[in-house]
Amino acid sequence: MLFTVNKSPLSANSLDSVLQVAPQGAPILLYEDGVYAVMPGSKSAPVVQDALAAHPIYALDADLEARGIAKTLEGIQVIGYDGFVELVEQHDVAPWL
Amino acid sequence: MNTVAVLMRKAPYGSVYTAEGFRTLMGIAVFEMDISVVFMDDGVYALLEDQDPSKLDMKPLGDGFPMLTEFDVSKFYVHDQSLADRGLTTDDLLMDVELVDGAQIAQILADAGKVLPF
Repeated sequence: MLFTVNKSPLSANSLDSVLQVAPQGAPILLYEDGVYAVMPGSKSAPVVQDALAAHPIYALDADLEARGIAKTLEGIQVIGYDGFVELVEQHDVAPWL
Repeated sequence: MNTVAVLMRKAPYGSVYTAEGFRTLMGIAVFEMDISVVFMDDGVYALLEDQDPSKLDMKPLGDGFPMLTEFDVSKFYVHDQSLADRGLTTDDLLMDVELVDGAQIAQILADAGKVLPF
């Protein structure tokens, strides 16, 4: 199952909540304000770094560019809308709105 | 002169708050009010440089804030801890701002008397 997060990790608990539920290996897609979680040096970075050991984590490029996020934590896979569609085709989706 | 503080606490693009806060600033600036703009929590993301939301079919939301100085809105404050929590420094921001701590923000809001939250 693909888990999707669209809220900022420092103003909502969506990412923390997903990480309590997502089984080992389940992919996580960050989009909209969810992409702030990939920023190095942020208070949320250690949580994401730990999660990367257990999950492939994707971030949508259009949302990164919009917000001026140029650097991402190592291991984050940046994808476009085409990649988003592929993930949704391959998995059932659990949106953590 | 009337005083007001505009408190920006939300990230841009994910919700309408940043855009509406900016529209409000444009609106009240023409009345020659004494305006303080405070960025705190995810609101500091509104001032990150190099925003390019063209793929979202939107205009960059940060670019408007420096232009407000032309309307005599020139008191821009950023919460130091909010910036630090996000791994950012003033070098990452698209305009000059004054860094302030929580106690200073309390004073700014108290001095203004009226707070418009976004």
